[in-house]
Amino acid sequence: MNTKVKQIFKLTLVAVIILFAANLISGSVDIQGVAEEQLSADNPWFGTAEKEYKPGKMETEEDVLHSRINWAIIVFVLLMTFILANVFDIGKYTARITGRETVNQNNVNRWLMLIFMIVGIIAVAWEYVYHGELILLNDSSSEHGFAYDSMFVITLVLTTIVFIVTQFLLFWFSFKYAHSEDRKALYYAHNNRLEVFWTIIPAIVLTLLILRGHQTWKSIVYARDNYKGKMHHVEIFAYQFGWKARYAGEDGILGNADYKFISGKNELGLAYEPEVDSLLAELKVRIQQDQTAIDTLDRTLKVLERNYKNAEGLRDYTNMESIRKDISAVKNGEMKDELEASIKRKVKQVQRIEAIKKDKAIFASTFTSAAMDDIITQEIHLAKDSLVTFDFRSKDIIHSAWLPHFRVQMNVVPGMPTKFTFRPTKTTAEAKKENGEEFEYYLYCNKICGSSHFNMKIKVVIESQSEVNAWLAKQQPAFIKKKMEAVPTIQTVDSTQMMQKDTTKTLALK
Amino acid sequence: MSTEIIKDTHAVEHHDSHGHDHHHHESFIRKYIFSTDHKMISKQFLITGIIMGCLGMGMSLLFRLQLAWPDESFPLIESLLGKWGKDGKIDPNYYMALVTIHGTIMVFYVLTAGLSGTFSNLLIPLQCGSRDMASPFMNMLSYWFFFISSVVLMSSFFVETGPASSGWTVYPPLSALEKAMPGSGLGTTLWLFAIILFIVSALLGGINYITTVLNMRTKGMSMSRLPLTIWAFLLTAILGLLSFPVLLGAGLLLLFDRSFGTSFYLSDIHLNGIGALSNSGGSPVLYQHLFWFLGHPEVYIILMPALGISSEVISTNARKPIFGYSAMVISLLGISFLSFIVWGHHMFITGMNPFLGTMFMYVTLIIAVPSAVKTFNYLATLWKGNIRFTPAMLFAIGLVSFFISGGLTGIYLGNAALDIQMHDSYFVVAHFHLVMGSSAIFGMFAGIYHWYPKMFGRMMNKTLGSLHFWLTFISAYLVFFPMHFMGLAGVPRRYYQFSLIPEFGIWMDVNILITVAALLGGVAQLLFLYNFFNSIWRGERATRNPWHSNTLEWSTDVKHIHGNWPGEIPTVYRGPHEYSRPDRELDYFPQYEKGNGEPDYYHAPSPADTSYDGKKEKASTVFFSSFAYLFMKRAKVRA
Repeated sequence: MNTKVKQIFKLTLVAVIILFAANLISGSVDIQGVAEEQLSADNPWFGTAEKEYKPGKMETEEDVLHSRINWAIIVFVLLMTFILANVFDIGKYTARITGRETVNQNNVNRWLMLIFMIVGIIAVAWEYVYHGELILLNDSSSEHGFAYDSMFVITLVLTTIVFIVTQFLLFWFSFKYAHSEDRKALYYAHNNRLEVFWTIIPAIVLTLLILRGHQTWKSIVYARDNYKGKMHHVEIFAYQFGWKARYAGEDGILGNADYKFISGKNELGLAYEPEVDSLLAELKVRIQQDQTAIDTLDRTLKVLERNYKNAEGLRDYTNMESIRKDISAVKNGEMKDELEASIKRKVKQVQRIEAIKKDKAIFASTFTSAAMDDIITQEIHLAKDSLVTFDFRSKDIIHSAWLPHFRVQMNVVPGMPTKFTFRPTKTTAEAKKENGEEFEYYLYCNKICGSSHFNMKIKVVIESQSEVNAWLAKQQPAFIKKKMEAVPTIQTVDSTQMMQKDTTKTLALK
Repeated sequence: MSTEIIKDTHAVEHHDSHGHDHHHHESFIRKYIFSTDHKMISKQFLITGIIMGCLGMGMSLLFRLQLAWPDESFPLIESLLGKWGKDGKIDPNYYMALVTIHGTIMVFYVLTAGLSGTFSNLLIPLQCGSRDMASPFMNMLSYWFFFISSVVLMSSFFVETGPASSGWTVYPPLSALEKAMPGSGLGTTLWLFAIILFIVSALLGGINYITTVLNMRTKGMSMSRLPLTIWAFLLTAILGLLSFPVLLGAGLLLLFDRSFGTSFYLSDIHLNGIGALSNSGGSPVLYQHLFWFLGHPEVYIILMPALGISSEVISTNARKPIFGYSAMVISLLGISFLSFIVWGHHMFITGMNPFLGTMFMYVTLIIAVPSAVKTFNYLATLWKGNIRFTPAMLFAIGLVSFFISGGLTGIYLGNAALDIQMHDSYFVVAHFHLVMGSSAIFGMFAGIYHWYPKMFGRMMNKTLGSLHFWLTFISAYLVFFPMHFMGLAGVPRRYYQFSLIPEFGIWMDVNILITVAALLGGVAQLLFLYNFFNSIWRGERATRNPWHSNTLEWSTDVKHIHGNWPGEIPTVYRGPHEYSRPDRELDYFPQYEKGNGEPDYYHAPSPADTSYDGKKEKASTVFFSSFAYLFMKRAKVRA
């Protein structure tokens, strides 16, 4: 009796302490109170992270209330757990006093096993029906998607059967053979025939699955090699964080492109000589600028320090923080290192571009005229029923192009060309009819690539060939206009020479 | 006391007697901190693992909140994360960081070190019958490297640019370029250092486990009498020893690329705000090959100890010998071997040669065969058992259930053709969280509940244990089962929010359901924590062999002593799973108990060929389905 009173007393004490602590915490969470005064030029290191960030939303009564409610919930949960745990402890004490278990736990668990099995199987069936509606199945918008779907259905049926049977047996056996004092378990250590049997059956089933999977895989990945006719190539260009498509212009050939040629005006780095020349000039200017910046670091430091004083006077903490970072970067040499690395990088880039320009053969095979009329677009338009190959290229890091409705996915790897060939079979209009007016096809990024990974997509439109042509005709080719303006000079001479070597597509750059 | 111990050769190393008694004069530091005793080290591993597990789970709850209520503001998040939780919403970069560190913690720190570290250390010497590990000092180092590694990893949360955030696989170029995302700065350097330290720890531990199992078994403990736990730990250690160095190599090369300007993984990159990089000739796919050469065996490094533990727990609590001991060992061997040649199934769509994809598909799907054998053997062990639902048994049954559910979806993902669509979708998230996440963590819980009396000399509360099981079991299924359907509907993983993509709006309520279920799971773990820490001091005192188990660890005293057995190490007379033998009154027959020359039933020919209990049993035919066969058998025995 005495112990029980003690127990209850302890419990209340702990509860009071927790509640008190919670009250204290919820009062002090209010970050805006963190003394901004403490930030000064003498003590700029104090709690940098807190200083940089200034919450503005915690001002209203309501927000403070919300914060307190949140903490209250957490404390409540902790408290409930504690109480619950203690309540179950009581069972232990009663068992100790009475000498027997109040509840036959084995029996409870046994029935729970059965209930879980029944409810579980119903829930799984419900999931199959209710959420099964939403999955992409039998509505493929590409030709190979149907082969894919049938492979999927075979696997689904087989695994579902095995799933139900084995889970049923697991819970049924648990229910059926729960402990009983009057029974002894069957001593049954092994049965080789049985074991061979259930090794061979899965092996056969899996072999069939493998063969079927092999066929499907082959039909998808070798579609390009087996196809003899004319194929459209569209380049899909990925960057942080977006996609661009590039179509061959009137000549029907995708021009060369290289990461070294990428500039503000030439986002995809097409091999178009005038653009590359201006990039070279720009690079040289920027190397000069960086050099000057290194030479004038002392002056920069003075300017920064003055700015810091001004910002301090204005109590502009965000600005102070960023200026402080710059100052320390200048002082500890990071700024200089960064500028030097930048110069080194640009010098290397200039050298590499110039090496291409120097070697006649490489130059001719790189700077063909094919790139000039290429069309760069913000949407992908494809013709229904015609085979298309996506040539993937990444500007910076690995992305992955996923078109779930077409059962198409391929990684986009910098420095390694990847391709995917498929045949769309359903126009956007047709898909809209099935899925509602708002429906659109999209290509999503499906490889973690940074903060905006979740919003990196491009619209895909499937329409008839003539509609695609009409849409393409409306687009502005990348450099055609410039070509017309620059015709009389060197460009014509070059391009006539280049025309003959158009077929060479590789970039022998390094 | 010391003089008794000196009888054993192993003990001589540790008990070099100078006349004084070691057990009573150990300083606090030697006993609890820099301990070389395998039992203490296993407790250290376990408690560090539990703390890391709480952190990992806490992170998952935070990002689940973000996924379920993307537009809601949580002042709690603001007060926890500061500038990364502005206006009570997680910053997208920090979301990635949470996902990354959650994965790293769970895979390496909880399910590798926490699971294998704890139970290998505890059980290898106790179940093999040795005084301690082959090298107790190395064992201590193993723990401390692990501890430092955890500290280094967690310290990356206090770095201005945040922790590593390019996914737990840290694929370059994203992880190699500081300017590609904030987390790829100092955070990733710390991540790499943490992993390098972790690998050192895993290797030190692994060498020790292998040596101990192979060389330090007691008299009579032949390999075929080893409990399945030990087989699992041995093979796990071998896998780790062969594959972790490859990750070490991959990590070092990545470190070179990051810090010393090499180009192992970098080529043709033009970064926003930086311009074209000079790196040329490297291949990001090379990293993926190296990473997954560890990454895939790692899955089995996680899973196999859990399978070993569940074999032991199921056999003990079903009061039946584990069905098909040799088949279990052979399938473990098969899984271990195959796990080395299947890494490419993580890379079907990376632009790898499609022919390689075919090869990897073949071997990957073949792994399903030994896995199926294991599942059927578990079922056959339960069949006609006398099942006691201790918390450990409940978790072991949960493990089998998850192993089935998650294993079957592996048949989809191992199929190169199907992987085109499912790669990196929520389907994958569901798959691995079931088969290696939940399954392995359930194995760990089973182990904790089962060997708690051995570790702490007290029992955990049974009722709380059951409650913990049911809540966790239900919540895990509620969390991960609907994710399959999300993935099949085309929802990509690692998306910070779906509110900018209206197509996925239909999954909003499912996301909420998942988060609520995850919160429920979190609360259930609080029950466990209470039960665990409360029982250390207040639990019922344990008896020597509380589960009436056969294995050797239950022959030791409840109180821990150096060298495990005060006198001679017991001799082993039979296999570990002699439960409910018809020729015995008791339903167990410890390995260390000398019998009266009864035949060793366990190694007798199959009961189908010999008779026992006066009845001749014959396998009539093999052409029925295995289950129909089992039921038939039941009818026959009953008649």
